[in-house]
Amino acid sequence: MTTDEPLLLKEAAGGDAAALEVLMNRYSSRVYRLAYGITRNPADAEEIVQDVFWQLVRKGGDFEGRAAVASWIYRVSTNLALNKRRGKRHELETSLDECLPTYEADGHRAGPRAFLVADWSARPDDELLSGEIRRVLEEAIDRLPEHYRAVLVLRDVEELSNEEVAAAVGDSIPAVKTRLHRARMALREILTRRLGPHA
Amino acid sequence: MMTCRDVIDVLSDYLEGALTPEVAADLERHLADCVPCRAYLATYRRTRALGTQAARLEMPDEMRTRLRDFLLARLR
Repeated sequence: MTTDEPLLLKEAAGGDAAALEVLMNRYSSRVYRLAYGITRNPADAEEIVQDVFWQLVRKGGDFEGRAAVASWIYRVSTNLALNKRRGKRHELETSLDECLPTYEADGHRAGPRAFLVADWSARPDDELLSGEIRRVLEEAIDRLPEHYRAVLVLRDVEELSNEEVAAAVGDSIPAVKTRLHRARMALREILTRRLGPHA
Repeated sequence: MMTCRDVIDVLSDYLEGALTPEVAADLERHLADCVPCRAYLATYRRTRALGTQAARLEMPDEMRTRLRDFLLARLR
């Protein structure tokens, strides 16, 4: 089986099941992760994966190499997922402002000292990624606006550069960096409220 | 001298190694004296890792099967 992407796409477009299998192995989970990460809905994510693959196969060999295919996939998947979310904002999604750090006039952080020095970072994955804490984390991700979730998945899971993320979401690099930082800060705050000294 | 606000504002750039050596050194001087900012950095870094792990999904097998069937049905 060829690893040449345009050729693979042409073969898949001709109904070659083996070529399709290679493309699915390469890209289906990436599209699903991104689509689910933005929509937070498995049925919506599945529809997006089907739509992206159908468009991908129909485009056939109109790509210049593998990098072009990957960036097309990220851009189209992001657009479809954001469109799917349009008009469907979940009631949990909220302004991030209440989850961002606050400061005194002199630039020091504001709040009870026990909360400010709470450090739960050494707790094991088993504890943080299961049960009640996992639920808190998932709900915190649900509360992020979808554009923030898109940036989080593209940057932190798919490990794209800021430039590549900006191209995928159609925003400037500074906007991407701001969203990423605010999303992480909000998740950190929500986890600390649950795991901090008063938990 | 950086404040806590200054430090937190550039934390993401710090973790990416995107700060100038001078700003990174200022930030590290602040961290050496500031317990809340050290806790913030540690939990911010851990949050990033947790978010990544939580979102690292594979497409379920039954969805994969439906995707294959969907595409082959339309291509034939």
